Amino acid sequence: MAAPKSRRQRPAVGAGIGAFLWFLAVAVPLYYLLLTSLRGPGEYMADGPLALPGNLTFENYLNVFEIGFHRYLLNSLIVAVGAIGLVLLVAVPAAFAIVRSNSRAVRVGFMLFLLGLAVPAQAVIIPIYLVITRMHLYDTLIAIILPTAAFTLPISIVVLTSSLRDVPSSLYEAMALDGASNRQVFWHLVLPMSRPGVVTVMIFVGLNAWNNFIFPLVLTQSEDTRVLPLGLWAFQTQYGTDVPGLMAAVVLSTLPIFALYLFGRRQLLSGLAAGAGK
Amino acid sequence: MNNTPRKRFLGGAGAFLALGLVAACGSSGPGDADGIEVWTLEDAAFNVVLEESIETYENAGDTSVEMVTYVNDSYKQRLQVALGSPNAPDIFFNWGGGNLAEYTTEGQVHDLTDALEDNPDVRDAFLPSVLDVAKIDDSYYGLPMLGVQPVVLFHNRPVLEEAGIEPPETYDELLDAIDVLQEDDTTPIVLPGAQGWTQLMWFSYLVDRLGGPEPFEAIVNGEDGAWHDPAVIGAMEMCQDLVDRGAFGTNFSSIDYDNGSASALLATGEAGFFLMGTWNLAQHQDDNPEFLENDELGYTSFPVVADGDGEPSAIVGNPSNFFSVNDAASDKDEAVDFLMETLTSDEYVHGLIDAGSVPPVEGVEDQLEDTEHADFAIYTHELVSEASTFTQSWDQAISPEAAETMLTNLQLLFLGDVTPEEFADNMDGRV
Amino acid sequence: MSGNNPAGRPGFLWAAPALLFFGLFGLAPIVVVAYLSLTDWNGLGDPLWAGTTNWENLASDRDAGNGLLITLTLTVLCWATQTPLAMMFGTWAAGHQKIRAVVSSIFFLPLLLSTAAIALIWKALLDPNFGVSAQVGPWVGIPDGNVLGDRTLALYAIVFVLLWQFLPFHMLLYQAAARQIPQDLYEAAEIDGASPAQRFFRITVPQLRHTIIASSVLMIVGSMTYFETVLMLTNGGPGVSTLILPLHMYNQGFVAFDMGYASAIALLLVAIGTGLSLLVVRLSGYSKMTSQREGV
Repeated sequence: MAAPKSRRQRPAVGAGIGAFLWFLAVAVPLYYLLLTSLRGPGEYMADGPLALPGNLTFENYLNVFEIGFHRYLLNSLIVAVGAIGLVLLVAVPAAFAIVRSNSRAVRVGFMLFLLGLAVPAQAVIIPIYLVITRMHLYDTLIAIILPTAAFTLPISIVVLTSSLRDVPSSLYEAMALDGASNRQVFWHLVLPMSRPGVVTVMIFVGLNAWNNFIFPLVLTQSEDTRVLPLGLWAFQTQYGTDVPGLMAAVVLSTLPIFALYLFGRRQLLSGLAAGAGK
Repeated sequence: MNNTPRKRFLGGAGAFLALGLVAACGSSGPGDADGIEVWTLEDAAFNVVLEESIETYENAGDTSVEMVTYVNDSYKQRLQVALGSPNAPDIFFNWGGGNLAEYTTEGQVHDLTDALEDNPDVRDAFLPSVLDVAKIDDSYYGLPMLGVQPVVLFHNRPVLEEAGIEPPETYDELLDAIDVLQEDDTTPIVLPGAQGWTQLMWFSYLVDRLGGPEPFEAIVNGEDGAWHDPAVIGAMEMCQDLVDRGAFGTNFSSIDYDNGSASALLATGEAGFFLMGTWNLAQHQDDNPEFLENDELGYTSFPVVADGDGEPSAIVGNPSNFFSVNDAASDKDEAVDFLMETLTSDEYVHGLIDAGSVPPVEGVEDQLEDTEHADFAIYTHELVSEASTFTQSWDQAISPEAAETMLTNLQLLFLGDVTPEEFADNMDGRV
Repeated sequence: MSGNNPAGRPGFLWAAPALLFFGLFGLAPIVVVAYLSLTDWNGLGDPLWAGTTNWENLASDRDAGNGLLITLTLTVLCWATQTPLAMMFGTWAAGHQKIRAVVSSIFFLPLLLSTAAIALIWKALLDPNFGVSAQVGPWVGIPDGNVLGDRTLALYAIVFVLLWQFLPFHMLLYQAAARQIPQDLYEAAEIDGASPAQRFFRITVPQLRHTIIASSVLMIVGSMTYFETVLMLTNGGPGVSTLILPLHMYNQGFVAFDMGYASAIALLLVAIGTGLSLLVVRLSGYSKMTSQREGV
């Protein structure tokens, strides 16, 4: 024990070895992913998946765009932005009401949202499909946006409500004394004060929309409405032997999130952890 | 004072939603009068042919035609779902037979009988046996649009030559070949068993060789005990026997057809045989062109089983695929006209031939002579025209529900997790 | 929060759009799925009343019983692998050494990938002929590289892929919670001569109990999403070895087009998911603890 006593002693040896092994388990597939995406298609089958490539090429990335990858990218972007907009549009006022209202109906409504936290989307996909087809929305991007927004709504409301609860009620009362209407309170107090919560919600909803698989799978069909995760899956069945192309597509689909991780790590992680309802 | 702004705000939210609904309703569907939407399967070679014919048709008239493609695994689901919705196609790809009958009983398919009467040259151009697959209750609901696609036994010529094996004509010869290849550390037969329909090919051919086409007709008609027919049970036992012999190697249940790995295994000589539809040629053209150029792809019909009641010439597979017209299409006449003008046209038929398939039409032998894979095309054409019967893929001929159960049970059968009797019991009462 | 200006409080209408919207897509479907489970519906046309036929079929459906067993097995295996590892790596990552920060930022990378991306990477890695399992398999007793086609290994492979995918998230929870543990507890234990392992089990684990429960509930509720990974990796195969109940429901509904029957399975799933979550909450006395916390 030559090292000075660290302030936080943990069972570091066992965990350290475990951490090293897990580091390999995470790093090797990611190494494979990156390397394969830069490999010539013929080389993959011939040399085996883990060999160092003879020469690196960005050809796979260009090919991916040739088969319409940019359309999937755009669709995913529309779905993410649409879902974020829809959630914020209804969730911020609702959070305001939940925090400030005396109404019994609002309290019951809040309980319903909490109940909704436990409803898995997979289990109600058939009635959602029924609703979407009856609304004549089948195979549109809106068909993905609506349920995505609905299923991220409960957690979004919980997050927004807890960030609004931190606002001292004296602030509300001061505004009320000045004769401010609810609308003015909403614009000048609630919106600015809920900004951290809003950022968390945007990331949480955006990530959910970006990664969602089941809603697009069941609610859309044509190439025009294909979003990224479905595009990846379709790529695998259509161009199955082109593993390097598939891996290039995977990397491309992850780049926006990776950029977010680099430039807004704290916000991204808080959006991810929003599911924990802390 | 307090209420008005709140209402306006909520009204805004409502308008946002309503706007979304309106925007969504504007997307294309059969209600649009601005063209024909054709749904077909993703198939690189064939899609080009159809696109070229579409271009010709568009140039000749003022109707626009749009081709939309899907992958095999999800297509049926998507079609089924779409036909009930406003997003349905005007013309759709299907498998004829039981698959098509699903839609005709819902009244969703346009009856083409009259149109064929009006265009006798088109009607007579099709091979009658193939056209009849889309005949339901004496009416025609679909037109053959792809090459005939029987299932044949492919092999890797150099692999067989090196092992000193002649392409087997009888089942016993096949069994011998399996033993020889195993000794050479070659997987005798590649089976993409991650997908049950590839196992179905072995099973349905064996049923036909053992008992002719009747046992399957009994199954389609829902006759009692049809699944317990000796030929059906016998075929299941033979499938398990093949697995036990190691005919398919040990890792067949993780091999996939769609991702091309099965074809790659045959082309690289890792495996000797591959029972697959003739459409497999297109996958080699895309992925393993040298395999074809070097003339290493061999093919024979399914071996004859000694003492079986089936005809040696009987075949199994996809007689053809079909284009049908959605009964809800707004411009049915345009859609019918497109099919009549296109499917038997020289350009289309020639395109099919160029794409390596054998068109479901009469009198193309001469054209087949000039093709890149002429031997294979002529072989296929002969096989179909001389076939005593052409049994449609079972999973297309029975309901999706029964097909799902059958394919699952086939996987279990090949894994040895169900006995033939249990398989038959599980299928009882499902049509 | 005594409001001296009740007239100025926002009313129900502010919450109405959210409720209406969530009701339509989140709550009404549960009622509709219950109704559909009593009908015969192929996805086309209108559902036809079928009484309890679907439920009778469900009772005798071997794939459903088998699927339930596999679903529970998968959930338990995922919980049993993810919880200890997440706790271990989470507390490890909570330390302030530079190396820990760097390594754990790599640990978080799978968080950035979608379920589809992860499933497809692993599917390619596990290809028996052209993947890593063909190369590595022979060293670890799988000479033919047959992982996803092997009845037992396929399930373990799914457990591993899910671990790979979800460990970072739960690690994140434990990391945050571990940083909240009062430092003097460790210092006191150190003075008493407790070994690192003793400190971990006597201080860290008990201090993390809220997180353990929250993370466990999330795992159980989240196990429904395993469906997507299974669909892409094995599609339930080989045979029915990995046919979890949600995938069976999807197949019955969207492949076999027996949507009435699929709805019956779906309702069963909702019941099981809710039941399990309640059980965990009850067993752990979580509701009591949170109410205590709120009282502070």
